[in-house]
Amino acid sequence: MARAALLHLLRHRSVATATAPLSAYKCLSSNSKTPSGIRWTSICRAFSSKAAVNNIIGIDMANTDSGVAVMEGKERLDPFSLVADELSLIANRLRSMVVAEVPNLASAAEYFFKIGAEGKRFRPTVLLLMATALSVRIPELPPAGVGDTLPTDLRTSQQRIAEITEMIHVASLLHDDVLDDADKRRGICSLNAVMGNKLAVLAGDFLLSRACVSLASLKNTEVVTLIATVVENLVTGETMQLTTASKQRFSMDYYMQKTYNKTASLISNSCKSIAILAGHTAEVAMLAFEYGKNLGLAFQLIDDVLDFTGTSASLGKGSLSDIRHGIITAPILFAMEEFPELHAVVDQGFKNPANVDIALGFLGKSSGIQRTKELAMKHANLAAQVIESLPESDDANVIRSRQALIDLTQRVLTRNK
Amino acid sequence: MTILFSRVVSRISGTPKKTFFNCPQLCQALVFGTSCRSPTDSTPKDKVDPFSLVAHEMSLVSKRLRSSVVAKVPELASAAGYFFKEGVEGKRTCSVVLLLMATAVDIHRPESPFCCIGDTWTIELRRRQQLIAEITEMIHVASLIHDDVLDDADTRRGIGSLSFVVGNKLAVLAGDFLLFRALRTLASLKNTEVVSLLVTAIENLVTGETMQMAATIEQRCSMEYYMQKTYYKTASLISNSCKAIALLSGQTPGVAKLAFEYGKNLGLAYQFIDDILDFTGSSASLGKGSLSDIRLGIITAPILFATEEFPQLHAVIEQGFDDPANVDTALEYLRKSRGIQRTRELATKHASLAAAAIDSLPESCSMDVRKSRQALINLTQILTARNK
Repeated sequence: MARAALLHLLRHRSVATATAPLSAYKCLSSNSKTPSGIRWTSICRAFSSKAAVNNIIGIDMANTDSGVAVMEGKERLDPFSLVADELSLIANRLRSMVVAEVPNLASAAEYFFKIGAEGKRFRPTVLLLMATALSVRIPELPPAGVGDTLPTDLRTSQQRIAEITEMIHVASLLHDDVLDDADKRRGICSLNAVMGNKLAVLAGDFLLSRACVSLASLKNTEVVTLIATVVENLVTGETMQLTTASKQRFSMDYYMQKTYNKTASLISNSCKSIAILAGHTAEVAMLAFEYGKNLGLAFQLIDDVLDFTGTSASLGKGSLSDIRHGIITAPILFAMEEFPELHAVVDQGFKNPANVDIALGFLGKSSGIQRTKELAMKHANLAAQVIESLPESDDANVIRSRQALIDLTQRVLTRNK
Repeated sequence: MTILFSRVVSRISGTPKKTFFNCPQLCQALVFGTSCRSPTDSTPKDKVDPFSLVAHEMSLVSKRLRSSVVAKVPELASAAGYFFKEGVEGKRTCSVVLLLMATAVDIHRPESPFCCIGDTWTIELRRRQQLIAEITEMIHVASLIHDDVLDDADTRRGIGSLSFVVGNKLAVLAGDFLLFRALRTLASLKNTEVVSLLVTAIENLVTGETMQMAATIEQRCSMEYYMQKTYYKTASLISNSCKAIALLSGQTPGVAKLAFEYGKNLGLAYQFIDDILDFTGSSASLGKGSLSDIRLGIITAPILFATEEFPQLHAVIEQGFDDPANVDTALEYLRKSRGIQRTRELATKHASLAAAAIDSLPESCSMDVRKSRQALINLTQILTARNK
């Protein structure tokens, strides 16, 4: 049965792209768990005839957040618009790179690129900015070509890191969403329910294998090691989330380790790869790593807050998907420190909505949200400091990119979706 | 035999050998007047058993593999290590081939007659080649784990499949973990060409699986499509890793290609016999095999050949094999046709091509090298003659 559905989906691309998004949106706007804390409702929109490029690059986000703000006489450039052209180049290359010998599978994987753009191509933006920030001049954009040829220059290979990062990210979303029979019976709706378990596995494998090929083409075994470590970390993080024994769920250390694995490792190691490709010293590479790590952690911590507060400042207005799935995040962990009674509630689990309300009650009384925001701010500031520690440069592009990277650390904190 | 064994052991364990055994055959021939033609070992050719020749080394490789598949999360570690436990490792034919190939291509380059390579280099090289065997096993098992999820398979290697035991999700994650642990180990060899080869194999595995799952009826009935898919799913990994072994030895592209050809043809021959056995099982008669391919709608060489003789079989294929009556119909046609025989002939042809590749390797006087080559040739016979 599943096989027939899978084959049907594979052979009828129009079905996959036309009807799926709408039903995905419908089921996603109800309480479904999305991996890695993606804010689906903000991203999932009915397919418009607008150039797909806009959906992916997230120019929308750049526009709504008032592109250019003048502050103290210094023009603050929007980080996303600084790299917009390059991002579209990457998006096109990604698209052509996923055309495999079996086009039907490629279209299924592509579907996820359109929707899976959490943070509106946040990661590639960081990577491209980092590449410039590390003293690489932005060359004339090369003509858009198919991604399989050997990168002839540094910038192209750094762009390739951005492509690889996206492929790995989407692949991990797909695999994280694989259902066990128990989940199917509970009717958990997800990307997977829409596309079929097997397609999710296969499309994920496909993306991972293309990422490997792209990685090998960089001819740099240190970078291969870093990115391979990322996938190991992603898997470890997801397994940590799947299988936590109760004691560990209450541990802030365990939670931070899991968060590093699931969210920060990808961006930290790819930032480091950018530096390594540019031939930087181990120290500079480490700085790039630290930026990515702290930014990633800050991002996730705010994500945790938003899951409770949503776009309002008040509790309980968020999607509450983490807690409903029994995933204990920083705000609750902090609240448990102040209110040990919360332990018992957490132990009981959150299948019973009454427990969710009780937990929210405790959370409201505690300074859990506040402390999480403070922790996020701490990491965001650490990231900003790292940029300031980079070796000096008086190149205007370099300075602008570094400013943009610092700017991003603040945007991560102030976003409300 | 004991001399050979001790040479193999000392090579691996690092016991320093006397210098004159290290000199290349040219040096030896000049100094000792020995000729390549005089055999120094009387073991008959067919008694050279590939599996026992590398048995000791294999157990080292397996041990190391088990200890390298570690993870911080215990559930992940045990899921990833599931198929490396003693007793469920399978025949590890791939690793056997690679270790034999490592010796078979161990030819000292003619440009340096007095190379008298230091022991450390030899040991280091061997260790790297063993790593290729480990990496290949990890990739292979990772793909098996995912295949079982995709096929809803309950059993594998006589025990429950990983997905059956720990669930689909953890199985998929464990497969990913293994694959990228393999990639990390691969990167540690610091050889970008070898990385590219194995990565190509990884990509081919996925393409092959996709070809199998997403084929249209026309494609499923096409011999060409089937051959391509079989190369991707079965032969690509072993051919590329054989080539990697040769490259690590510093071999010429010509020798590397021969190693590739051996792996490719051996892999294909293996798969064709597998296809037959799925119909016949350990008996010679049809229908006694597990018939798992056809029940899953996977059309293999015997049926493809039968369809050439009986085009009516097309219609049955189109209907699909959920209905057991169709399976019986197909078996009937198969029985009447020469499908099984022709598949066997095809397997034999590829086995011969594999053996020919070994025969084309540059001559060597070393007894180890000759023995390994003989073992590789014998392996082609063993695999085509097997009945399970």
